[in-house]
Amino acid sequence: MPRPTRKSVMLAATACAGVLAVVLLVTAFTGSSGGGPVYLDGNTNAVLYPDGHRPLAPEFSGTTLTGSTLHFSSYRGKVVVLNFWGSWCVPCRSEAATLAVVAEQYQPDGVSFLGVDVRDSTANALAFTQSHDIGYPSVSDPDDLITLDFTSVVPISGTPTTLVIDRTGHIAGAIFDEATYSELTTMLDDVTGKK
Amino acid sequence: MTELRTPATDQDAFSQEEPVSPAGPDFGLLDWLRWGWRQLTSMRIALILLFLLALGSVPGSLLPQEGTSPAGVLQYYKSHPTLAPLLNHIGMFNVFGSPWFAAIYLLLFASLVGCVVPRTFKLAGSARTLPPRAPRNVSRLPHAASYSVGLPPDVALDVATRVLGEHRFRMRRDEDWISAEKGYLREAGNLLFHLALLGILVSIALGGLFGYKADRLLVQGTSFADTASALDEIYPGRLVTDADLAPFTITLNKFDASYITSGPQLGQPASFNAYVSYTTSPGSPERSDDISVNHPLSIDGAKIYLIGHGYAPVFKVTDASGKVVYDQATPFLAGATGNELSEGVVKVPDAEPSQLGFSGVFVPTAVEPDGILESIFPAPNNPAVSLIAYDGNLGMNSGTAQSVYQLSTAGLKQLASKPELLLPGQTWKLPGNNGSITFTGYQQWVSLTITHDPGQLPALVCGIAALAGLLLSFMVRRRRVFVRAVSGNQGGSVVQFGGLARTDASGGFEAEFAELANELRSAQRQAVPTQQALQPREDVGD
Repeated sequence: MPRPTRKSVMLAATACAGVLAVVLLVTAFTGSSGGGPVYLDGNTNAVLYPDGHRPLAPEFSGTTLTGSTLHFSSYRGKVVVLNFWGSWCVPCRSEAATLAVVAEQYQPDGVSFLGVDVRDSTANALAFTQSHDIGYPSVSDPDDLITLDFTSVVPISGTPTTLVIDRTGHIAGAIFDEATYSELTTMLDDVTGKK
Repeated sequence: MTELRTPATDQDAFSQEEPVSPAGPDFGLLDWLRWGWRQLTSMRIALILLFLLALGSVPGSLLPQEGTSPAGVLQYYKSHPTLAPLLNHIGMFNVFGSPWFAAIYLLLFASLVGCVVPRTFKLAGSARTLPPRAPRNVSRLPHAASYSVGLPPDVALDVATRVLGEHRFRMRRDEDWISAEKGYLREAGNLLFHLALLGILVSIALGGLFGYKADRLLVQGTSFADTASALDEIYPGRLVTDADLAPFTITLNKFDASYITSGPQLGQPASFNAYVSYTTSPGSPERSDDISVNHPLSIDGAKIYLIGHGYAPVFKVTDASGKVVYDQATPFLAGATGNELSEGVVKVPDAEPSQLGFSGVFVPTAVEPDGILESIFPAPNNPAVSLIAYDGNLGMNSGTAQSVYQLSTAGLKQLASKPELLLPGQTWKLPGNNGSITFTGYQQWVSLTITHDPGQLPALVCGIAALAGLLLSFMVRRRRVFVRAVSGNQGGSVVQFGGLARTDASGGFEAEFAELANELRSAQRQAVPTQQALQPREDVGD
């Protein structure tokens, strides 16, 4: 067994430093995030924020498709389902019927639905709400300003996105995809304390 | 004399020792590892890796890449149906994200680290140790001079110490010799070069991890915000989330394009200007800028480039009941035929009783020789659209997302046998009481590319540092000079002056040595006191 020389020690140290650098780089590339919100039924597109960890929804206001001014603050105290949609968006069209049904079903429980119409023209959007029998109002967001307000809270990563907001104005759940009946009702039952 | 290496080995900036060959029964795992590490950190392998890195980026620039041109990849699949899947299998459509490219990159990184770290220690060590002893016979060195001077040896050496000190040599003095060395900057420059190379790799990684690139088409008179849902395409770095996008907004107030109106270059673009107003964050004051082709807008470290433009005809569609079911500027894309002849589709999914669809052509300066619609100039001098109308099922009520530029005609029926030509303001009443479509006018659109690359500035700085380091290591010579003085006649001494450039780049050392020798001699001769003041000394002999 040869005695370790200064050179071989240095060589080993360098090798360690090199390997460490590579490992750091690789982990940086594959970096993962831990903790945080809970996924509904293992679906990463349906997120539940546990009580106490719910982000506060930003205040916003806008003009509805029918031309009146709407302040989100007037919904405080109610459970709100906020749906970002566009008449051009295929999954928005296929979830529309579900949203209309759930809106009616949960109206007695004090749940309000509100749409945010993105990248759309008012004429196209109104044609959409009429042909899909959407009874709840939508505010226009042609400049993405409402979307932008949510970026620092819960980024709206695409259209459609549906947020369930509790009575204190905190976001309790988010669906970053076409909303399904079971996802929506599970979240609403949780927030309204119905189950 | 072992201290003086031959220039060739000194040039080898990496591992100084010959790697032990993997042979013999005693060659264990540790030896293999050590051998592998030596190989990896050798100059040869580093150069091969650098070459491979360059070679590996070639397909990245020749083939369409998923990150930058997903449409190009699809096109390639269509035109090369057998080759494309094979290429895809080896990551040719995502070269810079492929495992083999990462392997080259990381190995090069390891190689550079393995080279630079020991060399830093070595340089630090050599800067602390004294120059070697002077050789016994200085006159045998490649550069040598010998002369007598009327000074005793120790005084002659004192003068030499002063002169060499003025030339900023590091010196070692003994009773009858001086050994001096300078040119450490060569090695420092070399190290700077390698560190800067490492820095460039790290900068590229920074860009890959924290940078993003995104595209957005923006119609004149509209705005968008830099959010994931508002962008048409986004290619985020590995550690970029939707919340990391810079919260700016941009409004396209006006787009101007001018074209050459005469000569052989008729119709070629002369200038493009997108006049925008923007805010850097919600509620911040609005500012204005003019984005042109080589003049991007910078917001918060993000750069916004103008990369395309086109026309968006505005259509208003009513359905059978007379209700307005579509009213929107609809971006059309220019085809290959030139002069901004553009194609696009209008989808009216909420028309009743059945959905309506139109595929159309927008022509900025329309002529119709022989009944074929053509564009003879890219500016909107005589805009017109030609539309084919369909009704039926657009396929938009369920299923996957659709391109807004393509009409899936599978569930559609053509309403009229011929396309209809419309000028601005004209309405086409659709056959069969299906409503109408009005070509109300047109808008221009621009396509913007947003890039945020936090590694750009560090990469530039490192690039400059690498160049500076390389220049230093090329221009500075490591060289040693030795002075020996022995007693000569009449209390004087014989001075032997020798020099040696340690590296290949020794061109010019001859002149430097001659100059130094001259200076030394004249300094020593000037220091000779007058004959009277000279203290008689015993001769030691010749």
